[in-house]
Amino acid sequence: MATIETQALVLRVVDFGESDRIAHLLTPVTSRLTVIAKGAKRSKRRFPGTLDLFHLLDVRIERRRPTSMARLEQARLLDAWTPLRRHPARFALACYLAELVDRLATEGTGGREARDLFAAVLGALRAAASREPTPRMRALLELRVLAAIGLEPELRRCVRCGRDADASGAAAGESAKVAFHVAEGGPLCVGCTAVGDPCMTLHRGTLRALEQGLRLPFDRIDRLALGAEPTAEARALLARFLRFHVGFELRSERFLDSLLASGTVRALA
Amino acid sequence: MRTSAPIQRLVAALRRLPGIGEKSATRLTFHLLSAPDAQVHELAEAIVRLKKEIVLCAECFDLTDASPCAICRDARRDASQICVVEEPADLAAIEAAGGYGGRYHVLGGALSPIDGIGPEELRIADLEARVRRGGVREIVLATNPTAEGDATAYYLAERLRDAGAKLTRIASGMPLGGDLEYADPVTIGRSIAHRREMD
Repeated sequence: MATIETQALVLRVVDFGESDRIAHLLTPVTSRLTVIAKGAKRSKRRFPGTLDLFHLLDVRIERRRPTSMARLEQARLLDAWTPLRRHPARFALACYLAELVDRLATEGTGGREARDLFAAVLGALRAAASREPTPRMRALLELRVLAAIGLEPELRRCVRCGRDADASGAAAGESAKVAFHVAEGGPLCVGCTAVGDPCMTLHRGTLRALEQGLRLPFDRIDRLALGAEPTAEARALLARFLRFHVGFELRSERFLDSLLASGTVRALA
Repeated sequence: MRTSAPIQRLVAALRRLPGIGEKSATRLTFHLLSAPDAQVHELAEAIVRLKKEIVLCAECFDLTDASPCAICRDARRDASQICVVEEPADLAAIEAAGGYGGRYHVLGGALSPIDGIGPEELRIADLEARVRRGGVREIVLATNPTAEGDATAYYLAERLRDAGAKLTRIASGMPLGGDLEYADPVTIGRSIAHRREMD
């Protein structure tokens, strides 16, 4: 029997049968992990106030057989991310990021990838919890989480020849725009772009800003200068990138879009 | 064990009920076989009538056999107070506790974007329309103190902010008979934050 003692972030919780609950956790040692919490629905003493969305926990998990579902044996609440509950737009953004990880992260991946993903998701949630969500922030946090999952789009080099797409464009005297091939996952330089390539056209500045956003610490992510038009471009790029490479629309996207578009939701606490 | 088709059919039907496994379903089936005909017919009729007669109250969306429901028809209940709950079971729990004399609004769940449940999937527009018709002095937001329930309460507070009614949230903290040692830090924190002066 293997025992894991680690921190875990709750990505999703569903009731299972009369008394149990199934939780989707993100941990720095297993990446995403599905666990069963026996008796969690009935007994408030066994997991008191712990199994709720976005809760950061100290957990003890046991797996009796490699093929069986891991069992949550103990959980202690470290952080409930209360600001996320008190602000609908922050809640919507956090749900979107959690769904992204829950549906895209590979279950059971260990090592550095798991540690980096856990750190990135905590950073993104901390950023979402601490400030007013904006379309710019959404695009940057989404990109950071995608990168941590291993689905980072190429932002600088031509995906066909490997050269800096900026440099080749400049040499050819091209405009400030660059062709981005969604299916191939990155920009194409002028020399590699063929007639009929299904590309999006983006400002080079948008790709540079996104590249910068990947390097910024989470607490400074809102300082990145990204105007309304580049933000819209970045969002369109990520939406198309996600749909192509993932193949489905996230369920939480509609609610987040509506709150960010209305712009009327204010912090209440 | 070889059993006849009607027995298998009932066992299979009972197994779909929550908390009923194969053994319980088989035990119930054989109990019904040995029960008097009248008792079995009464049970069957009760199930059929349940589906036929129970509707949603057009006012509060609670389950009822007559719309508007008894609470919405009751002139002694305070119509200026609306308690917003997620499910009919929550309404029943508040009624069982006593002490609340206003009316209700059943949302039909809580916001859960991850499950694709947004405001359109809940009876939020109906609540808004009800409040804007006037005469509502207080809206008690009694969604569960979970992440989704809290987010729903704050979302409703935002949507109803200008409706002219006082918005309140049910208190959360230590349960009666609870033990501080076993309580989670959020519950203890809320209990301390929302402490009140002793009478």
